Amino acid sequence: MTKTIRREILVPQPREQVWRALTDSTTLAEWMFPNDFEPRVGHHFTFRVPPDPKVGFDGLVVRCEVLECEPPSRLAFSWSAGGPVENTRVSYRLEPDGDGTRLVFEHSGFDLSQPWGDQAFQGAEFGWAKMFKQLSAVVAGLAADRK
Amino acid sequence: MVLTPDREPDVFTAISHRARRQMLDLLTEAERPVSVIAAHFEMSRPAVSQHLRVLLDAGLLTEQRHGRERRYRLVPEQLGPVRDWIAHYERFWDDHLQRLQKQLSKRNRE
Repeated sequence: MTKTIRREILVPQPREQVWRALTDSTTLAEWMFPNDFEPRVGHHFTFRVPPDPKVGFDGLVVRCEVLECEPPSRLAFSWSAGGPVENTRVSYRLEPDGDGTRLVFEHSGFDLSQPWGDQAFQGAEFGWAKMFKQLSAVVAGLAADRK
Repeated sequence: MVLTPDREPDVFTAISHRARRQMLDLLTEAERPVSVIAAHFEMSRPAVSQHLRVLLDAGLLTEQRHGRERRYRLVPEQLGPVRDWIAHYERFWDDHLQRLQKQLSKRNRE
């Protein structure tokens, strides 16, 4: 079983504008994390999740490679953050919907049926527990930001 | 970074070791005696037992005596926390997609 996270959202903005938010490095940094993204297939980039000492989170680097880039309709990149999240795939599909855009988001490739397989775990001693806590801290931090 | 150690050995720590994941792998097919498990590893029998102990303590295995033999069985339900891990990623993306929507409406106003 490979688990996929899938979300569909409707936004009132046209595809070109959504595409910019997804692919312009500066704009992307505003809603994701600092990055060196470039919209071309084969480009390797990282998202640098900054540390947050308040919640005991010491930062994280997500390694990515652009896999598909067809403006303004398709973007996909690999997403490797350690643990069960090596070589997973993040993709966005942008479909016109009236004047707005239907954005179909997917994050796939978490293979949970074999969580101990070599593919999912590169490096034998990865700190799962730490990764779990870090991600929880990031999410908690984001939730706090909104308040 | 200082993290408060968990009181009880958790599933994530238990599966953080390659050998222990391989042991779980072996046990997905059938329950097996320690001798069969040990035959797959180049480590000493006490080392194998120690790893099995960690898995037992995390509740991932049960142990049963059959005569002179101990057999180990996987308790797959105990991997629940690993699946919950994915739920955290879902929240992560829900948060970020919301941020994207805010970002888009901000640009609209500009």
